[in-house]
Amino acid sequence: MNTAPITSWEGAEAYFTFADKPALLVLFTLVGIGVCIWTIASMASHENKAYKDM
Amino acid sequence: MEQSVPELMARLDSLESSLSMATTINSEVFYWWCTALMLAIHAGFLAYEMGASRAKNALASGMKNLIAFAFLIPAFYYVGWWIYLAFPTGFSIADGSEAGLPWSANMGPNLTDNASGIFYAAFTLFAATTASIMSGSVIERIRISGFTILALFLGAVVWVFGASWGWHPDGWLTTEWGLHDVGAAGAVHTIAGFFTLGVLINLGPRIGRFNADGSVNNIDGHNMPMSLIGLMLIVMGFFGFLGGCIIYTGDTWMTIYNTPATLSAFAFNTLMGVAGGMIGAYLVTRDPFWMMSGALIGVISSAPALDLYYPGLAFLVSFGGGCIMPKLNDILVGKFKIDDAVGAVAVHGFGGVWGLVMAGIFASGYPNVAGPEISFVGQLSSAVVFMILGFVPGYALSFVLKMVGLLRVTDKAELAGLDKAEVPVSAYPESSVPAAFTNDPTSPTPAE
Repeated sequence: MNTAPITSWEGAEAYFTFADKPALLVLFTLVGIGVCIWTIASMASHENKAYKDM
Repeated sequence: MEQSVPELMARLDSLESSLSMATTINSEVFYWWCTALMLAIHAGFLAYEMGASRAKNALASGMKNLIAFAFLIPAFYYVGWWIYLAFPTGFSIADGSEAGLPWSANMGPNLTDNASGIFYAAFTLFAATTASIMSGSVIERIRISGFTILALFLGAVVWVFGASWGWHPDGWLTTEWGLHDVGAAGAVHTIAGFFTLGVLINLGPRIGRFNADGSVNNIDGHNMPMSLIGLMLIVMGFFGFLGGCIIYTGDTWMTIYNTPATLSAFAFNTLMGVAGGMIGAYLVTRDPFWMMSGALIGVISSAPALDLYYPGLAFLVSFGGGCIMPKLNDILVGKFKIDDAVGAVAVHGFGGVWGLVMAGIFASGYPNVAGPEISFVGQLSSAVVFMILGFVPGYALSFVLKMVGLLRVTDKAELAGLDKAEVPVSAYPESSVPAAFTNDPTSPTPAE
């Protein structure tokens, strides 16, 4: 998989992976936000179980 | 050896280019180390909140800090930086703010942008600091999940609006009212302090904090020395924080409002502020915890006009803050029954207001680059905006969390200790912690 947005360093600007594919960057952002929300939900679930088990 | 004019011009161009690059690199290096130094604030919050907790809650208190720090970093990347760039004029979106969107070409490695990453990093640490201000007040009874949601909202959204409005060269509080708050006493501390007050009202006090007749019981933490070291680490980290509040341009320094300044000015007044706050708090409490909190009060009291104060005046302004805030905390606890476990509402919330108002009195008349000169009315009005901006969202969100059962732990978990309930490891596994150090009302101390 070629992730590079550049083929030469001459005149390169934004050179991070997938910099030329904004739809993918939006997707990564949404997945990242989803991971955070999921982890917080898991945290709440852990707490509920812990309080119930006491 | 004589050189031709074209050769000399080429050399001059080369020198100018090198100088420009050196300036850029110096700027990056400066903010890199300011950011690194700000991590000490979080080490400090971690130590002082764990120390301020009873042994049965020590790790749960620390977990809170670690989780808030970890979540704030992506949250500020996803939304915080964009909010800061987008809303300096109020609620309309500013041109150019798309550079802060997480899918922008500026929000990643870019050979033509040496600024975005380093400023994002510094602001992320400001954001994490803002969220951490709340965390000490709510120890020993808040749910970690509820706290995380509150911390994210405060650190990645609420304070960022305040920063965009009042800690930004184009912020409307400065361009319309002449606000001067170079060290973010209002944008960070007042907002965080009043957000915390809103949360505390809904959260309620720890079990055993108040008696039926309204009298107050002290709930001592299990490790005061650790708390003191933590507070000193926070003070150390504030040198990174305040360093990050001044703009390096290569040939001079500027405040965030584009007024000229020197790092020396910040050095004079930060140190004098720390000392004034410590001495003031010692005078009225004789308590080492409050003495070190006084150091924070001192920094916050002088923060709005660190660039302008005569150091002897900064000392006195901070001394006044150090004398007043512990007493204000006594009123909050004793009269209003607000169980603020570390006094953050007084230290940060009212300390920030004090600093803003004092700048309105003692720095009045200084010109701004954009907007009217600094004035008492402008500073006081801005302080009110920061108080409302902090309190209303803090109260509203914590009320919603309370309604859905995500704000407070169960009484059973609180009495047993949050470490036992939620944390899979023990803080002190090889020792038996006497009940006297847990303050567990269900376990009488040997003397009882």
